[in-house]
Amino acid sequence: MDSVATVTLPQSEEPLSRLVRGDAAAFAEIVHEHQSMVFSLAYHFLHDRGRAEEVAQDVFLRLYRRLEAIKTREHLVHWLRQVTCRRAIDEVRKLPKAPATKLEDVAEPATEAENSDPFLTLRLQRVVASLPEDARAVIVLRYQEELELAEIAEILEIPINTVKSRLQRSLEMLRKKLQSWVGEKPL
Amino acid sequence: MNLLEENLRKALGRKPAPEGFADRVIAHARQQPEPAARRWRQLMKFAAKPVFRWAFVTAAVLLVIAAGVVHRQRQERLRAEGEMARAQVRQALRIASVKLNVARKKVRDINREAPPSQL
Repeated sequence: MDSVATVTLPQSEEPLSRLVRGDAAAFAEIVHEHQSMVFSLAYHFLHDRGRAEEVAQDVFLRLYRRLEAIKTREHLVHWLRQVTCRRAIDEVRKLPKAPATKLEDVAEPATEAENSDPFLTLRLQRVVASLPEDARAVIVLRYQEELELAEIAEILEIPINTVKSRLQRSLEMLRKKLQSWVGEKPL
Repeated sequence: MNLLEENLRKALGRKPAPEGFADRVIAHARQQPEPAARRWRQLMKFAAKPVFRWAFVTAAVLLVIAAGVVHRQRQERLRAEGEMARAQVRQALRIASVKLNVARKKVRDINREAPPSQL
């Protein structure tokens, strides 16, 4: 398994399975290349580094067991996003039904918020984590991965119109939740 | 894009995975059993080597020869059993024939000894 030191993943249609056949080095490259994406997706869903790491690790181990089925680089990225979202949604549903994070529960910032304010960032992350799972999936895929609506629809296996409406509703919810904190400052 | 979307993009940017994450994943993966499909393919790849190919061909030929020998022995045994059964039938017919001749002779003798008035 350790026979090949480095493997360059193909850019287009070259079958991945040909390269990753029993090849630990190829798998390691895949993990290194995509760990940030998978971990971040899980983290923005769960807002808990420990659980996010657990989910991300599980996703990669599933990938290891299914490497044969992955045909292209695009397929790999799509698969990772899809499985991470599903796994994160399952993880959220496993949690005891805690009341969604309220803005009042979030610590007040010590200073006036700016656009790049870390307090605003933290608050946004928490508010996103308090959205219903389906809405959260759309928001995270849209703003972390910067995916088009059609791509999100494909990953979540829902109609594109559902993605549109979920996105609009989610943004509206976020806007309302945040307005109380930033006052009337437009978001 | 409005300000909220811009802020979301900043807030939800990718984060680096925890220190040593990839190493932990790879270590876990190494502990996993080999997936069955991969194991099977590796076995086939191993078996496809010329040495093993010839070994398989030889084994197949030997198997066919062994099957032929076993079949022939079985046919021989069946034929021998058939011969034995035919011999037994002949013997039985011969014995029956002898007995019949004895019985016919006795009947003839009885007829010859009896007076004509009793007939």
